[in-house]
Amino acid sequence: MTMVDTGSVRLHVQRIGPRQGRPATATVVLVHGLLTDSLASYYFTVAPAFAAAGLDVVMYDLRGHGRSGRPAGGYTLDDNIDDLEALLDRLAVTGPVHLVGNSYGGTVAFGYAARHPGRAASVSLVESEPATAAWAVKLGGILDRVVNQLAHNEPDAIAWITAHRGRNTARLARGAARLARETSLGRDIPASRVLTEGQLAAVRCPVLGLYGADSDLAALAPWLRSVLPDCRTVVIPGHEHSVLVEASGTVGGHILSLVEEAGRVAAEAAG
Amino acid sequence: MTPPTPRTPVTADEWSVLADLTGMLTRLLRDEYGLDDVEIGMATTFNRDLELESIDLVTLAGLLQERYGERVNFAEFLADMEFDEIIGLTVGRLVEYVVTSLQAAEAS
Repeated sequence: MTMVDTGSVRLHVQRIGPRQGRPATATVVLVHGLLTDSLASYYFTVAPAFAAAGLDVVMYDLRGHGRSGRPAGGYTLDDNIDDLEALLDRLAVTGPVHLVGNSYGGTVAFGYAARHPGRAASVSLVESEPATAAWAVKLGGILDRVVNQLAHNEPDAIAWITAHRGRNTARLARGAARLARETSLGRDIPASRVLTEGQLAAVRCPVLGLYGADSDLAALAPWLRSVLPDCRTVVIPGHEHSVLVEASGTVGGHILSLVEEAGRVAAEAAG
Repeated sequence: MTPPTPRTPVTADEWSVLADLTGMLTRLLRDEYGLDDVEIGMATTFNRDLELESIDLVTLAGLLQERYGERVNFAEFLADMEFDEIIGLTVGRLVEYVVTSLQAAEAS
C-alpha cells in the first residue's frame, strides 16, 4: 500500500498502468466522493479498463476517507484541492492530467482545473457539479442531516437504516457518522470558497458531465453546458446517484472517449 | 440473487491457495480491525461473514499482487462482476479464480 505524505496529511494512493510496462499515453486522476466513498469505487470499476486502454491511472483516498490519514481539521474544498495539488507534485506528475470526479470528487477535480487551467487536459464530472453558492447550500443541508441526525443520534438512526436499507448501508452510515464526529468536515465543506461564473468559464478544457437520469443532479446538465465553454453532458437512463458503480462500463466508455478525443486535439494543436 | 455455491476443493492447489488467502485475510483483519481468531473457509463470504468494506478489498488486492504478481488480477476479476455477485463473493470463489489464473499463467 502506497502512502504519500503531502506535508499536512498522509494519503493512500493506488496507481496502475498499462500491462507489460508499455508507456502510458496520458495520466488520469480519479477523485472519489464524500463520507461513505473511497478509491475502491474506481479500483474495482473503471480503473482496470482505463489502464488496459493505455492510461496511467492515479487513485487516492481523500483525507479522512479510506486508508488516508484523518486529521481533525482541514476539510474545505480548497484544502482538498491543496491535497490533490501536493499529491501530484509528490508523484512528479507535471504535465496536464485528465481529471475524473464522482460526486464531491468532481467538485474537487473541477476546482483543481479552475485553479490550474493549464494542468487540466479534461474534466469528467460523474453525478457532480462545480462549487457554486447553490452547491454549498445543498451540501450544507446534506451534511447537517448527517451530523445532527446520524452522528449525534447514532443508535436510533442506524437501527432505522438497518431496517429500511439493509446491513451494508448501515455499515457505511456508521463510517460516515464516525467521520463526521471525528473531524470538522461537516462545518468545513459548506463554508468552502465557491467559484464565480467567470471562474467557471475560465475552465476551457473539455468537460464531460455524466448523470443518472433518475438523479436530481441530472437537471444541472443544461446549466453546465451553458456556463462552460467546452462541455457536453450524458444522461444515463435507469440510474441514480450511484451510476459510476452501477453502470461502470457505460460511464468508463464515455470518459475514455473524451480522454482519447482530448488527446488527439492536443496532439494536432501541438502539430 | 443466488450466492455462488462453494465448491468442494478437489486439488492440492486449491488448498494451498486457500492457505495463502487465509493468511492474507487474517493479517488484514488483525491490522485493520484488531480481530484475531476469525474462522475462514471456502464458504466464508467477504461481505456478510467478514464484514469487509470495499477499501479492504483494495488492500487484499495488494496482498494478492505481492504473492502472485501480474498472474492474478483481482481488480479485473471484480470489475467483471455485478454488484450483487460482489456482495455474495465467497473465499472459495476467489480461490477458484486464483487457481485458474495461476494455471493459465503456467500454460502460457
